[in-house]
Amino acid sequence: MTAPDVVRQRTAAATTASAPSGGPAPAADRRRAPRSAEAVQTTASLLALLVLAVVFSVLSPQFRTLSNVVSIVDAAALLAIVTVGITFVLVLGAIDLSVEGLIGACSMTVALLVANSRTGLDLGLVGVLATVLLGAAFGLVSGLVATRLRIPTFMTTLGVNAVGLGVATLLFAGVRPVIEDAGLRAWASQRVLGVTVGSYIALGAVVIGWLVQRYTRVGRYAFAIGGAEDIARLSGIAVERYKVVAFAIAGAFYGLGAVLATAQLGSGVVQAAAGVNFSAIAAAVIGGTLLVGGRGGVLHSMIGVLVLTVLQNGLILTGVSPYAQRAVEGVIVVVAVAAATWPVRHRLGVVK
Amino acid sequence: MTAAPALSVEGLTKRYPGVTALDGMSLEVRPREVVGLVGENGAGKSTLLKTLVGLVRPDAGTIRVRGEPVALRGVAHAASVGIGMVFQEQSLVPNITVAENILLGAEQTCVRTGIYRWRELRALAQAQLDKIGCTVSPSARTDTLTFAQRQMVEVAKVLTIEERTSHEPVILLDEPTSVLESDEIATLFTQIERLRQRASVVFVSHRLDEVLQVSDRVYVLRNGRVVAEANPRTVGAADLHHLLIGREVDGSHYHDDAQKPCDGAPVRVRVEGLTTGGCRGVDLEIRAGEVLGVAGVQGSGREEVCRALFGATRALRGRVTLDGRPLRLGSPRAAVRAGIGYVPAERRTDGIVPPMSVAENLSLSHVDRVCRGPLLQPRRERRLVDRWVQRLGIKTPSPSTPIGTLSGGNQQKVVLARWMLCDDLKLLILDHPTRGLDVGAKSDVYALIRELAAAGCAVLLLSDTLEEMIALSHRVVVMKDGEVVTTIDTPPGAKPDPVVILEEMV
Amino acid sequence: MTVDTTTDAVARDRLGALTARARDELVRFLPLLIIAVLLVALSLRNPDLLTVDSLLTMADSAAPLLVLAAGATVVILCGGIDLSIGALASFASVLLALWTPALSGWAAVPVIAVTAVAGVLQGWVHVAARVPSFIVTLGGLSLWTGLALALSGAKTVPITDLSAFAWAFTRVRGLPSAILVALALVAVISAVMRLTPFGRWVCSIGHAESAARLAGLPVDRVKIAAFGISGAAAGLAGLLLVARTFSGAPTLGDSLLLPAVAAVVVGGTAITGGHGGLGKTVMGAFVVVLLRVGLSLIGVDAGVEPILYGALIVIAVSVTIDRSKVAVMK
Repeated sequence: MTAPDVVRQRTAAATTASAPSGGPAPAADRRRAPRSAEAVQTTASLLALLVLAVVFSVLSPQFRTLSNVVSIVDAAALLAIVTVGITFVLVLGAIDLSVEGLIGACSMTVALLVANSRTGLDLGLVGVLATVLLGAAFGLVSGLVATRLRIPTFMTTLGVNAVGLGVATLLFAGVRPVIEDAGLRAWASQRVLGVTVGSYIALGAVVIGWLVQRYTRVGRYAFAIGGAEDIARLSGIAVERYKVVAFAIAGAFYGLGAVLATAQLGSGVVQAAAGVNFSAIAAAVIGGTLLVGGRGGVLHSMIGVLVLTVLQNGLILTGVSPYAQRAVEGVIVVVAVAAATWPVRHRLGVVK
Repeated sequence: MTAAPALSVEGLTKRYPGVTALDGMSLEVRPREVVGLVGENGAGKSTLLKTLVGLVRPDAGTIRVRGEPVALRGVAHAASVGIGMVFQEQSLVPNITVAENILLGAEQTCVRTGIYRWRELRALAQAQLDKIGCTVSPSARTDTLTFAQRQMVEVAKVLTIEERTSHEPVILLDEPTSVLESDEIATLFTQIERLRQRASVVFVSHRLDEVLQVSDRVYVLRNGRVVAEANPRTVGAADLHHLLIGREVDGSHYHDDAQKPCDGAPVRVRVEGLTTGGCRGVDLEIRAGEVLGVAGVQGSGREEVCRALFGATRALRGRVTLDGRPLRLGSPRAAVRAGIGYVPAERRTDGIVPPMSVAENLSLSHVDRVCRGPLLQPRRERRLVDRWVQRLGIKTPSPSTPIGTLSGGNQQKVVLARWMLCDDLKLLILDHPTRGLDVGAKSDVYALIRELAAAGCAVLLLSDTLEEMIALSHRVVVMKDGEVVTTIDTPPGAKPDPVVILEEMV
Repeated sequence: MTVDTTTDAVARDRLGALTARARDELVRFLPLLIIAVLLVALSLRNPDLLTVDSLLTMADSAAPLLVLAAGATVVILCGGIDLSIGALASFASVLLALWTPALSGWAAVPVIAVTAVAGVLQGWVHVAARVPSFIVTLGGLSLWTGLALALSGAKTVPITDLSAFAWAFTRVRGLPSAILVALALVAVISAVMRLTPFGRWVCSIGHAESAARLAGLPVDRVKIAAFGISGAAAGLAGLLLVARTFSGAPTLGDSLLLPAVAAVVVGGTAITGGHGGLGKTVMGAFVVVLLRVGLSLIGVDAGVEPILYGALIVIAVSVTIDRSKVAVMK
């Protein structure tokens, strides 16, 4: 028998390889392009935004005013900056629970470096820059500890959070430093075209975050690492290095957020942004930056920020207790995460 | 031709505990030729490829690229000397663009001082795609492509090696056709022809006719070494197949004399219209004391049937009765309580709990046997475990030794004992039960399967090799593309040739 | 980077099982060693420390922490984590303060039932929706805190009936009752885990969940039960706190989350699941308390405490984690 004459006797004496625990995808399934979970999530959140806006407009006449829109934007500023930062970590497939401690430490730092009621320093913009760098340094530590010691990031950042809180408490030393620097106070008080300076800074942060994500190596590799870390490694990418850089970038954004929070509060506070860690995760997931990694991005997360801020604003205007808001937020994030994975939940492996 | 071969290996050896994957393998790949590699599971194909691409370091032997010995440090290093592989499992990052995937880790001038220059990146990726005539857009997101398109992108990605080295590359293709349709396969072969003009290709597959069609020379691997070199112009698929298998089928290895016929026995398991994500309308019947083998290539749906019967995969439709009573396909727990057992293919992750003791692993599924009410009875457990350790010849220092320290064969015996200790075991599903076991352990497992069947248990068997399946089974059901195509009798004393079944698996 | 083939894993497995044994031995003795060292060091600084009275007082202060850590241990052994325990303890304290006027000391029963149900709910969401446990419990944290704040009006709620929970903050033959309660809980949970199949089920799920599932174990139920136990323990911890502060407050127990987790991991229970146990947690709790006492003896600022916990957690996890189980560390 010569090769071309052979009737297709496909011999499969060595029937192949192992079936992964989830079972091989059937032939038909693998041909269809999978529907993107994050696209579904994003559409759902845009819809949610619309629904919320409509519902609250009906329930509260005050909601519909221009000044309320402005206060929504102002209220979103801090969350937006922090969420840009945490997006970088989430895209990696990691998690960051160190935000509040980090912000506390940075808030105290900036309060003590710029003109204030406790120290004689008056470093102004340099002080702000130094604080952003401090945030980056904390992030660097998170990244290094997680990659060098090979500990899951939720544990590492839980630890770093505690360290940040401790540093903040030490810096606080019992006396609240009130901000006297007019420039910094202006972030929260001065308005340009009706919107505070801080909101413009937040906008700038979002733009910078997007640029980094789209045009830099760390931005693109973060997606590759989050999507398929083992493949990224095989392609020769120094995965650990980029993880550390991503955490550092996130830390820098948290530092900037801390500066804004301090400006808004008027003084350095240890619990400068209580609850923001969770809100940031919620916002990111709602917008489509899924916890599994490799999905979504800065712009997606901003949709989530808007959804959350509109929700908070609407709940306040309709007279719902602020405590109930915390409770609701907790439920929402769980629902958002569950909704994102619901269609594929049977195919998920072990979920710890 | 006096030029040095593009790639050659001499005396390549790699040993793992209990198995020698590569045993002094020597072969060569000449410039601009397509070399086929065929062999059964365990012949050494995938270990050889992994060694060639730098994923595994050999214990002994030399790899030479263009005559110069190299010690490969990893995939990136292999790429720099001109060796690249298209992996069997997809090796593209699904959530980034095609252009990024093609140039991942090797963006070179497209990324300057850390800043991406998208236009250049896309242009460079387009150039790679043009090399193989692929029409996929470089800006498309990779997870929107079909399987076949992704395969082409992988080939384009591998070809970036040409830019990284000044010599002609060696491209390794690992089972590239196992997931493609016939028209897509034709496209792949055209690409291979194109590749041949600028590279050498190593084509690994278990589809002998395809290998013969596209290769210039074919190496036959068995037990970690090259046993034959075939000329496709003079050798046919059937000859290759015989070279592959080689050994004489020895009846005693499979305990043939212990196989009892089961013609008159009542039907134990009846499956009607079972449909899951991977199989459609499957009908099966297994009698008491019968061993039913299920044959099929990857994607045939046979693994899905097993998992669905055990409740490990969701069944969309179908009815199953066990001894006449309807069986609810819900969860493994329900299946175990109904008297079904399952020995999974991946023993290490799905079969045993490595740090826990032999005793705990053995009593895991039917822990009520060692309990009185809610309380554990250590003495009862000790007696039970001792009895089974002795009966199955499990070699362990003591019942409280962590099972992870035992050999694969002994671990598998514990897993089997876990189900055998249930007096009321009605159906045992065996998913590649002898994978990774040495010859002696395999023989022991065969004896146990015979014993179970003789005691009246129904057995559903998936095997690595057709030979094993035919020897052990009473009947073999063949599945293809998710459906049952035929059933072939393999009664004791009248075993058919594997080729009969192979034809149906097409 | 060199990646091994599947058969390499057999070798890794054998080696892994042996090094796991070695590590287990080390981990078992290390906390004891640390406790001994700390006791010596601290008593050098303050000789009054080693008196029975001061040791008993330390044990008393450790009781709520130990109760929380005991519940958390079961969840961590399963491979999950419960970040809501502090908030649940606070929530329990508020409920106790609100319900005591009507039910007196018996309010403890429905309150612990409520927190147990809360835990079961979290566990159920985790298994049914396949949401990672740290997200579910993080959400739970917000939920219980919000509820506690709403019910208490963000204020401390005093308890006027001083005898209601006196049994939880008194001395029984010189021994603090709180620590007796805590140790009793530890004993009960240990007994259940050792004398019934529950313990080996929990450990199998923590070590190798897919193998446990395929062996027919009731994986989902065990996980839900673990979270229920953690919730109930949080309720009991809230009760101990109320007993000594005579009030309930919406943030009363929040600060105990970190030390509780520290106690579990420092004691030697691995975050990856499977390895560890309640005895280890008891030792870990004492290490944490000794460190806290030590810090205040040295006169260090309160801010150093969380830094210490943070560092401790990171180091302890780094030592006890089973890296072979996680291919990709996220």
